[in-house]
Amino acid sequence: MKLLVCIKQVPDLESRFKPNAEGVWYNETDLAWRMNEYDEYAVEQAVQLREKLGEGTELTVLSIGSDRVVEAIKKALAMGADNAAHIQDPAAASKDPWQIASIIATYAKDKAFDIIFTGMQSQDRGSAQVGVTVAEQLGIACTTTIVGFEYDSGNIRAKRELEGGIKGIVKMKTPALVTCQMGLNVPRYPTLPNIMKAKKKEIAVIPVADLLKEEALATTASFHPPAKKGGGIVLEGDVGVLVDQLIAILKDKTAVLR
Amino acid sequence: MFLDLTEEQKLIQDTARDFAKAELEPVAAALDQSDDRSPLLANLKKLSELGFMGLNVRGEYGGSEAGVISFSLAITEIARACASTAVTLSVSNMVAEVIQAVGSEEQRKAYIPKICSGEYPAGGFALTETCAGSDPAGMCTQAVDDGDCWVLNGTKIFITSAPYAGVFVVWAVTDKTAPKGKGISCFLVEGGTPGLVIGKEEKKMGQHASATNEVIFDSCRIPKSALMGKLNDGFRIAAGELAGGRIGIGSLGLGVGLAAIDYATRYVTERVQFGQKISNFQAIQWMIADTYTELEAARLLLMSAAYRKEAGKTFAKEASMAKMYATEAGNQACYKAIQMLGGYGYTRDFPVERYARDARITAIYEGTNEIQRMIISREILRNLS
Repeated sequence: MKLLVCIKQVPDLESRFKPNAEGVWYNETDLAWRMNEYDEYAVEQAVQLREKLGEGTELTVLSIGSDRVVEAIKKALAMGADNAAHIQDPAAASKDPWQIASIIATYAKDKAFDIIFTGMQSQDRGSAQVGVTVAEQLGIACTTTIVGFEYDSGNIRAKRELEGGIKGIVKMKTPALVTCQMGLNVPRYPTLPNIMKAKKKEIAVIPVADLLKEEALATTASFHPPAKKGGGIVLEGDVGVLVDQLIAILKDKTAVLR
Repeated sequence: MFLDLTEEQKLIQDTARDFAKAELEPVAAALDQSDDRSPLLANLKKLSELGFMGLNVRGEYGGSEAGVISFSLAITEIARACASTAVTLSVSNMVAEVIQAVGSEEQRKAYIPKICSGEYPAGGFALTETCAGSDPAGMCTQAVDDGDCWVLNGTKIFITSAPYAGVFVVWAVTDKTAPKGKGISCFLVEGGTPGLVIGKEEKKMGQHASATNEVIFDSCRIPKSALMGKLNDGFRIAAGELAGGRIGIGSLGLGVGLAAIDYATRYVTERVQFGQKISNFQAIQWMIADTYTELEAARLLLMSAAYRKEAGKTFAKEASMAKMYATEAGNQACYKAIQMLGGYGYTRDFPVERYARDARITAIYEGTNEIQRMIISREILRNLS
């Protein structure tokens, strides 16, 4: 059985983001990087399945990006993936979700993966398109935002969480792709011996040009911080007058008072 | 020259930071104020399962083989959240390393895996005595050959983790007639051995969750096989291994200092006086600039000492420099942080008060900073005479 988990390295969200020189993405210098949180749930679920199925199952981790993404790849290897594919692309951020998905689909096409795990979205771009588009391009089943996962001899039973806490159960036959949501599991910390042993696991380096056949379908026109809001209204004067003014504003501008 | 960490070192740093933030930080303030050590012991167990108890220990003994730089990074990250956890970790790692460096194959196999796996909550390092603090060669504890065993008599003080240490490295005089420092030997004594009595616990200024006790040897009989290394060669072992421990304590001082200044720097960007954030005032800005510069210098000294040890070069002088500088910078950072918080900094509603108490001992234990200066100057002057 062959499993694939796709991960993205994203900036720590506590970073201060500034637009880059072209104004279409953030400036990547001096940021701290880590594995996309939703991808950690995907890795954990894939590793749990890998451990349950034991020998004869192979879990590959894939990431697209510059050399810095190798740290995220090594974390997934330390968590329990068997080997890795690093799609080397210093300009991954300039590609749209369609292109990213097509790179993954082209890589996966002839490798007969039974299950592909992805995060439900990345924390930086947040398109939530890559996973489903990979499944579409490969022509396999797909379900999204899963919070529960069971597998038994070719059948997946996934639990989804819908708006308002309503749960849904989806059954699929492999090959299939799932996108993983918070609540699915608690990702393990990689142990230190496993971090050191991950050095010996194979990371195949593939230039993105070998896999990218598609043009972008959507381009980001602008990346900018939100416009600064005004400073609000300051009311001054006698309390009795202030109350009347406030009530008038609440009636006029809000639905609090009618 | 390459000053960046390897991917493995970064991952270990991230793992330590994530664990510390999630598991240690939420309980650190309560551990400081309570006598209940169960959260500390539970976290030590989790840390051992992740491989933090034998960072620089070989895999065959259950260690992580992560190296000295990773050890320093890990202690700093743990100390940013909880200094008591960090010191327990630092001493236990040192004990595992001493046994690996000087112990026989039997001794290594008997004890190191139990420290690394967490079967022993901690390891103990029993050197100091009332009359032998900075001058450990003046110790009085004796080990007498009684045919089929050694008999230990004497009292050690200030022993970290004593109530829950599974094994102690113990130094004792084995040849009273030898010149000072030449007749001392090193032994491994298991916790719970009859005659090994855990004495009174010190009431300390800080690092409350880490127990510090008297350890009394009252005709404590240990097997002949408990001798570690060569007879009468123990003092050299102590001197050598303490240098490695100093990298741990320097890293701890750095971590506490970073925690303090990080907290205070966030605080001054919110605190308003005279109609503006106090971070607008140059007096505050200079405290920020000075403190981060000192801590960065400390970090580089620690990395240099750790690199030298990892590369198999001499590192005693560099470890002393790093320990002395980092613990003083860490203490300064805590006091500056209190100043930046003003009256609030002096209260227990804010964590910098605890950081300052926790940091104070780092300039004292594992060799006072005065002893570090003696070591540094001795190494420098030796080359001129």
